[in-house]
Amino acid sequence: MMKSSDVVTPVQLAVTIISTMIGVSLLGIPNFVTEKVGTAAPLSSVLGVLMGGLGILAITLLGRRFPKQTLIGYNQKILGKKLGNFFSIVIILFFLILMGVETRHFAEVIVGSLLPDTPISISIFFMIFLCASISFLSVSTFVYIHFFYLPFIIIPLLIILLPSIKNITFYHLFPITGHDVSIGMLFSGGMNVTQAISNFMVIAMLIPFMKNPKKCIKSGIWGYVIGSLFFIMTITIALAVFGPEEMKHLLWPTLILGQMVQIPGDVLSRVDAILLIAWIFAVFTTLFSYYFLYVRGVAELVRSSKYRLISSLGFPFVFIVALLPKDIYEVYYYVLEVTLGGLILTIIYPMCLLILAIIRKQRGIAE
Amino acid sequence: MSPIFKKSAGSKENKSSLPNSSIIQKAQSVYFTPSIEYNLDLFTSLLQKDADFLLKRFKVFGEIPAVLICLKSLVDMEKIERDIIKQLQDKQHPKNGHISITTYVMEEVLYYTAVGKVKNLAAGLESLLAGKALIFIEGIEQAMALDVYTQEKRSIEQPETERVVRGPRDGFIESLQTNVALLRYRLPVPEFRMEQKEVGTRTKTKIAICYLDDIVNPELVEEVRQRIDKIEIDRILDAGYIEHYIQDDINSPFPQVQNSERPDKVVGNLLEGRVSILVDGSPFALIVPAIFVQFYQTSEDYNERWIITSTIRMIRLVALVFSLTFSSFYVTVLSFHPELIPANFLVAASSGRQGVPFPVVIEVLIMELAMEILREATVRMPQQVGGALSIVGVLVVGQAAVQAGFVSPITVVIMALSTIGSFATPSYNVATAFRVLRFVLIILAGMFGLLGLAVGIMLVLNHMLALRSFGVPYMTPFSPGNYQELKDSFLRFPIQWTKGRPDHLQPQNVKRVKRRQDKTGGSNDEI
Repeated sequence: MMKSSDVVTPVQLAVTIISTMIGVSLLGIPNFVTEKVGTAAPLSSVLGVLMGGLGILAITLLGRRFPKQTLIGYNQKILGKKLGNFFSIVIILFFLILMGVETRHFAEVIVGSLLPDTPISISIFFMIFLCASISFLSVSTFVYIHFFYLPFIIIPLLIILLPSIKNITFYHLFPITGHDVSIGMLFSGGMNVTQAISNFMVIAMLIPFMKNPKKCIKSGIWGYVIGSLFFIMTITIALAVFGPEEMKHLLWPTLILGQMVQIPGDVLSRVDAILLIAWIFAVFTTLFSYYFLYVRGVAELVRSSKYRLISSLGFPFVFIVALLPKDIYEVYYYVLEVTLGGLILTIIYPMCLLILAIIRKQRGIAE
Repeated sequence: MSPIFKKSAGSKENKSSLPNSSIIQKAQSVYFTPSIEYNLDLFTSLLQKDADFLLKRFKVFGEIPAVLICLKSLVDMEKIERDIIKQLQDKQHPKNGHISITTYVMEEVLYYTAVGKVKNLAAGLESLLAGKALIFIEGIEQAMALDVYTQEKRSIEQPETERVVRGPRDGFIESLQTNVALLRYRLPVPEFRMEQKEVGTRTKTKIAICYLDDIVNPELVEEVRQRIDKIEIDRILDAGYIEHYIQDDINSPFPQVQNSERPDKVVGNLLEGRVSILVDGSPFALIVPAIFVQFYQTSEDYNERWIITSTIRMIRLVALVFSLTFSSFYVTVLSFHPELIPANFLVAASSGRQGVPFPVVIEVLIMELAMEILREATVRMPQQVGGALSIVGVLVVGQAAVQAGFVSPITVVIMALSTIGSFATPSYNVATAFRVLRFVLIILAGMFGLLGLAVGIMLVLNHMLALRSFGVPYMTPFSPGNYQELKDSFLRFPIQWTKGRPDHLQPQNVKRVKRRQDKTGGSNDEI
């Protein structure tokens, strides 16, 4: 009964965006940005958020234009079958590779902070297994999972961030524009933030399942803004607490913030364990989105509904990609390179699609 | 729905006729004749070995030979003697010669409501086995089937499994009729429907689908009907058999159908827009669809004050989470991340472990196993022995094991907490599900520390989020979120504030009570 349960509500769409955005990168992002622009990090991250906003705007506008089609569908429609499918494959491959690299990033943090003696492949295996074991299920299950985990991600994050305010040293934030930071530098610092948060493309697979796809713009922007606020907040508070100089020595500043928090009553001596568990949830929801995009995307490309098979086929690929980098520095190198290239796909490409669609006056099937 | 569900739905097409009782099949074409001796032979050849087969010859109106057969164990003998045989013997021949004897007997002689005619052996056997008495009259090629069924049943008692401090004390019994009566008694409205079906090719168990016509979603009733019609089985010995066939995911450890012995609980659920299935021979009513929050709620919750009930519900939830995660968290902390707890605790915990020969995982696993053995033994033992058993359990597991240096005292405390946590759950089947999953979590936590624990918990959560019960997401109202339903989930807001029926059931009318339009309107009618 109740077949209509495979429906995505606007709130669920927004929640999916938030929990997809908050992921692996949250632990290290303050370090990345500060290293480039110093005290201008908050300003720079606002710029980055604005740049990423173009991407979400383009994707939701496309979703409104083609309310019955997913990314794969309107790729074909706008670019023609061959070219469209080519780009779809590129996007799917990008997200698989991104997933591999981020899984490795996750595993490095786990090995570095929790399980120093456990082989890294175990953490990688578990994370991919978690994603692959449920990505073949329905769209509604996908959004329910995002919805359920969000409080468990956000509340611990706030528990870490809000008490840290009392450790703030205000002069760490000044000057807001940084010391001798050129506009180009400001943008390239912002680019780091954009790279970290512009992974919301999975919503292009969800919009056709909305009851009223026209509402996707509003909820898309809300989700994006809330998710970005967490990033800006994390970067600003981390900078204000540690200052630009100390930050350069911290690989995962957010984790250190967690270690500084004290809970009255001495129940747990280290609150960062809670943060780590919340972060594991956050990483899972992010990677789950990537993998879901892969499963649904491939299924639509080959016109099959054997989600189980597709899901298990992707497993070894991601696993191998995750094992490729030699050490954490190489992981960071790959993360930056892959996401930088990814910006073309996640922001510029949807904008081009949108412009093309407008010029050629193409629309999806009306309701 | 998951692909598993679709597959099982598709493979049920070739269900036409199962190998029913072969005797009945053969008897289908055997018709009765006017000779009562011939007719009797048909039955005696089949049933002569049965000790409860009763054959009574007598004369209708004092002249026409007739015979009554029945199965003694199923019928009310007094009724047969007083209401049937005596009437038939005492009355005189019909004065109007044109009327047939059967019609005369059925319409004028017997003041009996449940009378039918039977023409062939198959129907005759079936009515005999259903507790009817058959009367053959010489010269008539039909038999009269009179329902004189009586059944042994126990009296209505307080349910053993769902005890309440404050609330009604009556519980369902095995008889379907009585159970339906208990429901009707609480729901004197014409909208209350009770559809009867027969399941089980051999046991022919009667089941009743109960719902409120103007509330329930018709699609839900249709789905229940279809799932019950698809059941192919020879026996239904308890409601549990039905539950196995109508649930969505067979391989899930979590129950997707609620069961209850309490009529008040069933009525409450019917009024929310759920469907209840009563099974003859089982004191448990099934309620579908079921969502997770229902399993830690009790019917008593609505009788007590809302602040207290809300607190108690949260305590139950905490107990449930404890029973799942506490022992594995202990394993994680002691064997991988001692830095997580303050040094004082750590010293206390590890000093007790001095001399314990096993690693923490093994110690906890052994203790959990011992606890489960004790629990199972206590359930299976007769009540008189149970007391002795618990003394042995307490002494051996608690005292002696610690003194022997076999386990550390803190492990015993942790074990006790997690076991008692699972006992605090009102619903036995969810508590057992969590107890089984606990073992998996302990092993994961023992091997991979906090990561293993987190992954284990996420696997359980993901499974619960993917689960559906008759299309309703199992984790409603947490995800998909529903503010109105959260008022009656892990909290219970005042009844005055929760006037709506749960949205996830998509009932026909969401409002439980219409607001009174104006007070003068009512009094006008009286004038």
